[in-house]
Amino acid sequence: MSSPTDPTEREPRSCAILNLRPTISALKILHFVQDDIGNAGLLLAAAVVFALAFAGCSKQGPPISEAEVKAIFDKTLPSTVDDAMWERAPVHTAKLIPQDMVEPRLMRASTPFVNVQSITDGRQMAFRLSWSDATMDDIPGQGRFGDAVAVQLPATTAPDAPAPQMGEEGKPVEITYWSAVFQAAVNGRKDDIHALYPRAKVDHYPFEAPSLKPGSTEQQAMAKRYAPARSLENPMAGPRTVPVQDLVAAGPGTLQPAEKTVSLGSGTYVKSGWSVVLIRPLPNGTQLGGRTQVAFAVWEGSHQEVGARKMRTPWIPLTLESAR
Amino acid sequence: MARVYNWQIGREMSYWYPETRPKRQFAAVFDTNKCIACQTCTLACKTTWTSGKGQEYMLWNNVETKPYGFYPLAWDVNLLEKLGPQSWEGRRYGGRTIFEAAEAGERVLGWRPEEMDYSNPNVGEDDCLNGVEKGAHFTGVHNSWFFYLARICNHCTYPACLSSCPRGATYKRPEDGIVLIDQGRCRGYQECVKACPYKKTFYNTMTGTSEKCIACFPKIELGLQPQCFVNCIGKIRFAGWISKPENARADNPIDFLVHVKKVALPLFPQFGLEPNVYYIPPINVPREYLLQMFGPGIDAALETYRNAPKDKDLAGLLTLFGSTEQIVAKWKRADEQVVGYDEGGREIVRVPLREPTHIRQAFDTKQGVARGNIS
Repeated sequence: MSSPTDPTEREPRSCAILNLRPTISALKILHFVQDDIGNAGLLLAAAVVFALAFAGCSKQGPPISEAEVKAIFDKTLPSTVDDAMWERAPVHTAKLIPQDMVEPRLMRASTPFVNVQSITDGRQMAFRLSWSDATMDDIPGQGRFGDAVAVQLPATTAPDAPAPQMGEEGKPVEITYWSAVFQAAVNGRKDDIHALYPRAKVDHYPFEAPSLKPGSTEQQAMAKRYAPARSLENPMAGPRTVPVQDLVAAGPGTLQPAEKTVSLGSGTYVKSGWSVVLIRPLPNGTQLGGRTQVAFAVWEGSHQEVGARKMRTPWIPLTLESAR
Repeated sequence: MARVYNWQIGREMSYWYPETRPKRQFAAVFDTNKCIACQTCTLACKTTWTSGKGQEYMLWNNVETKPYGFYPLAWDVNLLEKLGPQSWEGRRYGGRTIFEAAEAGERVLGWRPEEMDYSNPNVGEDDCLNGVEKGAHFTGVHNSWFFYLARICNHCTYPACLSSCPRGATYKRPEDGIVLIDQGRCRGYQECVKACPYKKTFYNTMTGTSEKCIACFPKIELGLQPQCFVNCIGKIRFAGWISKPENARADNPIDFLVHVKKVALPLFPQFGLEPNVYYIPPINVPREYLLQMFGPGIDAALETYRNAPKDKDLAGLLTLFGSTEQIVAKWKRADEQVVGYDEGGREIVRVPLREPTHIRQAFDTKQGVARGNIS
């Protein structure tokens, strides 16, 4: 999986341009060897140059979709960010703008864009989202936030889309949210203060008293009582089996968990950027060959971005390829 | 932004939500002159509420030595500096509150502590202002001073934590004015941590939510005072209900101390939150410092407190502090006794104005023996 880069620097699509750099390099070699090998040798070297140029065409990346997110059809969905299937899915570079409509706003822009690809099997949609991020932020703390990304779709496909920022009353949106903090937990970081502060010294937790058998029903029930958010089954509190949450909203400030999180996801940090795959059901009323809208948001943890403080997109058209 | 009235600053101010006062408001009076910083209150709270994972660093109640004690570090001076000049025109505040001084894109002027700011809860403990010269001894005037400031959530009338939460996860209970964070709704944005000037909301890294002092509401609902009150060794604390100034009743202990005698003052009223923990200011601290911390009522409050030995009502009510676990809703002085009543008017405590003194003779004539300390 290559790291996300600025679209202007991304690998060009035309073969001639694509191989400009190897061609120039080869010509330099050509000039260097000319004196020694004569004209016959020069012809041979030129053939090598064209061969190199032709070979370069086979490294062409996925196509580009400028105006919309195109979900291509496939019978199976990729589950990882580096699945070869993504080579076929068109890349849409979604420009991000600061959330500056409701307080608290993001006053200083950060992540400029997110590259989006999508594949659907007619029942679910997979999104691959890649963006540059110089810092990997997956540790929660006081004044410390994790990197995150979200995909938003209208809860019902209709010509009249909800307000792009979290929907509106009567026109809810569905959001699938991935967090680097959740991912670290799913990847095996222990649900314990020592996982965050290895040298922490804790005198005593009442629910870990010697009189309680570790892992017993009684012990676990007591531990839960000492974690109020967990007692109330707040999905922020874990325990966590997936790094994503399914959420619904009908306007800013109304975000709440969906009845159940059914989406899947996984994210990896490679070469100064995140790549995240999110797999979620097709939104209500959306089908193969159909159209709807989609929006994205990215949170840069080291920039104190959390909640409403985020980089976001407006609605972007989303087309679903027909079954083949 | 709505316009609301804040009696502590003597004027209307801007607030995120319209004025909606609870049916009654939980309030407290702390007498700073009695506090010995034994931290029994801190431990009472800690063992009752914050023994869980992710709560290790949390002190919903703490006692810090002023001027150099802070938890978290520099919680007050950071904001005082950000807020700029804070002038009083008599009892009217002429500066900006933290709601009025909010920067573009923000709901409240605040700052967000980092984990290191919580690393030294005892910083400045027992440090007094300026060094003490070698050979210095008390000559009648305290040139060097410090005092202990016990702090819990102020369960403000206009809470900054509540106004800053973009998803309405923080709420003020209409029945008693206690401010709570809904642990089922909070998503751990820490906006409340940034906004609360008193830094009494805390982020729990293990549950991904922010938590705060709950004023021991399960006890309040039973008519009992919170844990940090009833475990106080120095008997410095008194919990009850406060009325608006125009509705103040002299037989309500909190009203009497705050509105009638005006001996107990809010902490940093200029921030604009109308906090509901009131402090009897320390008498050994320079006026300017106290003016900044407790507002323009400081001179009258100090004079009234110094005069307490001659004021039987005030001295009498102060003896009710720490005398019962129950909330004293009404009180009266009956000659040399002070009586506390519950909500229903039932007598719950009776305390003499002065404890009777008994002098035991060194020699027991009946037994014909000299008394020792244990006989």
